[in-house]
Amino acid sequence: MSTFRVTQKMLAGQSVASLQTGLERLAKVQEQLSTGRVINRPSDSPVGALSAMRFREAISTQEQYSRNADNGVGWLSTIDTSLGSMSDGVRRARELGLQGASTGSSSSAARAALAAEVDQLRESLISQANTSYLGRPVLGGVTAGSTAFDAGGAYVGTPGAVERTVGDGVRVRVDLTGTDVVGVNGASLFDDLDNLSAALVAGDSAAMRAALSSLEGRLNTIVAARATVGATQNRIEAAAQKASDAMVSLGSSLSEVENTDLPKAIVDLKLQEVAYQAALASTARVMQPSLVDFLR
Amino acid sequence: MSGSLSSLNTALTALRFNRVALDVASNNIANASTEGYTRRRVIGESIGTSAVPALWSRYAGPEGLVGRGVTVGSVDRMSDPFLDARSRREHAAQSYLDVRATSMSRVESGMGEPGDSGVAAALTAFRSSWHDTANDPGSAAARGQVLARGQALVDAVRAQAVALDAEAGDQRGRLLGAVNEINTAAAELAATNKAIAGASLDGVDGSGLLDRRDQLATRLAELVGGQASPGANGVLDVSVNGAALVSGSVAGRLALTGGVTSSGADDGVPVTYAITTGTSATAVPPGVGGSVGAITDLLTTTLPAYAEGLSAVVTTLADEVNSLHASGYDLVGTTGRAFFSFTAGDAARTLEVAVRSGDEIAASALPGGVLDGSRAAAMAATGQSEDAYRRLVTGFGTEVASVKRLASTQQLLTTQVDSAREQLAGVNLDEEMVSMLSAQRAYEAAARVMTVVDSVLDTLINRTGSLR
Repeated sequence: MSTFRVTQKMLAGQSVASLQTGLERLAKVQEQLSTGRVINRPSDSPVGALSAMRFREAISTQEQYSRNADNGVGWLSTIDTSLGSMSDGVRRARELGLQGASTGSSSSAARAALAAEVDQLRESLISQANTSYLGRPVLGGVTAGSTAFDAGGAYVGTPGAVERTVGDGVRVRVDLTGTDVVGVNGASLFDDLDNLSAALVAGDSAAMRAALSSLEGRLNTIVAARATVGATQNRIEAAAQKASDAMVSLGSSLSEVENTDLPKAIVDLKLQEVAYQAALASTARVMQPSLVDFLR
Repeated sequence: MSGSLSSLNTALTALRFNRVALDVASNNIANASTEGYTRRRVIGESIGTSAVPALWSRYAGPEGLVGRGVTVGSVDRMSDPFLDARSRREHAAQSYLDVRATSMSRVESGMGEPGDSGVAAALTAFRSSWHDTANDPGSAAARGQVLARGQALVDAVRAQAVALDAEAGDQRGRLLGAVNEINTAAAELAATNKAIAGASLDGVDGSGLLDRRDQLATRLAELVGGQASPGANGVLDVSVNGAALVSGSVAGRLALTGGVTSSGADDGVPVTYAITTGTSATAVPPGVGGSVGAITDLLTTTLPAYAEGLSAVVTTLADEVNSLHASGYDLVGTTGRAFFSFTAGDAARTLEVAVRSGDEIAASALPGGVLDGSRAAAMAATGQSEDAYRRLVTGFGTEVASVKRLASTQQLLTTQVDSAREQLAGVNLDEEMVSMLSAQRAYEAAARVMTVVDSVLDTLINRTGSLR
């Protein structure tokens, strides 16, 4: 017969070991509750930690995309406003030109007044074309200077795409090259206005008609550019929406992987607490008696 | 034929024997919680006629059939060499895993992953600062932020490299201490072996020495995974991975032959050991166990592997950023500058931001100092280093988790073997009380036998022939 001997030292050792285990489990649940996270180090769950790190990076990237998109929308709405006022200006210039052309017999003084207003419009159009966003002329491409057109209406910007990254591998151009909107130096909107003004002063109705038809073309170009800008703006806004949707869903995925399930953790805490108290109580009971107590 | 006084003598042997039984019980009780104490048990032998017929043996009459009392046959030490060997092996495995798990968990906590303060977070912030520069290449604030976040990334990487170095340094110091302790224990075991051999020749009780011997052998197993084998006269020989450390009363000296200098510095070669006995030195084959084995593995494999992994990640990152940066143009149109500088092969420790001012950041892909941000946007696109870093961290995490799991499984095994050993060798107070009581009662009974015999003799001597 093999007897299983139990000695006092075994009892003591086992009690201490089980108390330790109980405390360790309590500490673990306590850590999860106090940090609010179940993954506090990679070894807590290597796979979970990998996902958590990936989600964290993705959230920050999407946040950045949404910031980039906001910046892009700023550029585009500035361009849109500027193109809006430019098309108004060109329309007004056409009206003035038509007025001059249709009343070819009108006095030179009246035509000079029309020409003066065209000159004023030209000035204001140059300034519209130099509209800037955060210190950069929106039609100036990548120029380091502060204007896209000089005072005489010549293009001084540097053609180059200004792009915003609004998604993984999605780069959207948010600027317009000035020459695409107003035409190249020497044959630009501003030169047409110059010609119109000169024709008005001279009363040259053929030149006036030529300038008017060319202004018609400019207006179409500006309206088309504005439509493009609007479409791009839609695209960027959609991308921004996508980025913020992604942020929400990634955030909840991260929290699912990483954060403590509170009800579960609290139930765990309660269970471990009960187990620990039971271990303490049973230790107190078991360690106490021995045969010595019963021998007199 | 026995004399009339033989019963008195028999009672006397009982008195003597039970006194020894009481002594043994009280010694057991006294050592109930002594570490390494093995329970003793007194074995009584009844004294009878010789079991072997001898030349002058003769029929002793009816009295010869009765025994002549009791004597102490032996005081047994309740140990089982098989269980002892098993326990040493489990303790060696346990201390190997414990040391490894503790050190690796420390390295792991130092990473701060997953979280907002680790290398991964710094890397993300760095990428994000490039995005902001791409959005506004002319802004000094955005450019300054690239520099600051680059520096923060360098600091985060360095902090990990320094923590790894510090851990390796601690382990080297600990290794020197452990080697000293091994040599002390080995010398003590050799001395104990000598005493045991002497005691067994003299016939003196050597139980205390045997307890000490087993304790030292267990300590050596924990420290270096020393395998003990019993030799002649109750000695224990200990060898480390095949190289003899203690043989009989001669102890060798374990010494480090590479890996750690006497001042605890790293000498750049793998950690190796040799045992010197007298004048001959024997190299210890690699793969020692116990805590020294764990430290050796940490120093030669685990920590360098992580440091190399980190350096590889940093090299990938720096090369990626540098090649983009060198092909870009800064605010005044200069090209060909590197963003990070580092020493090849030791990138994590030597990483620096090479760009000195925000204006020197090559955000533009176009020459001539224009405000283009396309190079910065390319920098901002996440590269391979993020993935490589995540793999590195979770790879290490998996290793830590597995070591922790192994250590807790081993703990179950060790506890089980220890308790099997304790079952045999441990002192149970109830049991000792019982044997104490039975010795006491037997002592009282023997004394009563003496009284009875005395009164019988009194009757015989004083009353015989008296008619009154």
